[in-house]
Amino acid sequence: MNSLRIARTALRARPAAIKAPLQRRGYAEAVSDKVGISTQILRILLTRPQIKLSLALPHQSVYKSQDVVQVNIPAESGEMGVLANHVPSIEQLKPGLVEVIEESGGSKQFFLSGGFAIVQPNSELSINAVEGFPLEDFSVESVRSQISEAQKIVGGSGSEQDIAEAKIELEVLESLQAVLK
Amino acid sequence: MAFAWKASGLTYNKYLSVAARVVRRSLKDDKRLAAERRGEMDLRMAKWKNGKQGEHQNVADANAASMAEAAGSPAS
Repeated sequence: MNSLRIARTALRARPAAIKAPLQRRGYAEAVSDKVGISTQILRILLTRPQIKLSLALPHQSVYKSQDVVQVNIPAESGEMGVLANHVPSIEQLKPGLVEVIEESGGSKQFFLSGGFAIVQPNSELSINAVEGFPLEDFSVESVRSQISEAQKIVGGSGSEQDIAEAKIELEVLESLQAVLK
Repeated sequence: MAFAWKASGLTYNKYLSVAARVVRRSLKDDKRLAAERRGEMDLRMAKWKNGKQGEHQNVADANAASMAEAAGSPAS
């Protein structure tokens, strides 16, 4: 259905070929016309608009102005997917999973410790974070043991600051545990 | 937005460093050892008053003290 619509718009985009006043087209001509339309459809399907992603950590740049199709980010205002021509905005990120859908159709997942995502007007996206690693770098056991440790501190009688830090750790760890499953 | 850590007197910088620290600790052993080196900080400072140098202080300790103080007053 969708490809039909594209085919129709492709036809409309070539009025000269269709509205030829005297339709005395031979066989060969008709064939070459069909080929023209199908390559046009292919071109439309293949050139998905792309967004330039820069994913930078203080010690490494994971993506350096690389063309990707879509990036899903965990903003404080909610999960969002960023495509090309997105409205410019600045989003604070929660510690969570960033998913990058690449040109080839594959996707990569990184867990970032929190930072900022800046959508620039010319289809550019900059993400800055302190730490970020692919999911396979994390140890499930270590996350589990740290959760129980942090829970002990939150429920204990430490200073207000220790409890606040343990609460931050708990938030990060629970988010990490949720995506590791 | 109201953040719990802000009400406890922590700064955004401190919040980020705590979050990054716990992410580093959650890594598999080989990656963790390399990453944890990035979290280390050793800075010292001294306040100068009336042309005289005060005593040396660890910046991390001084920060912790000032944040504990901020926790007492209502967060702006």
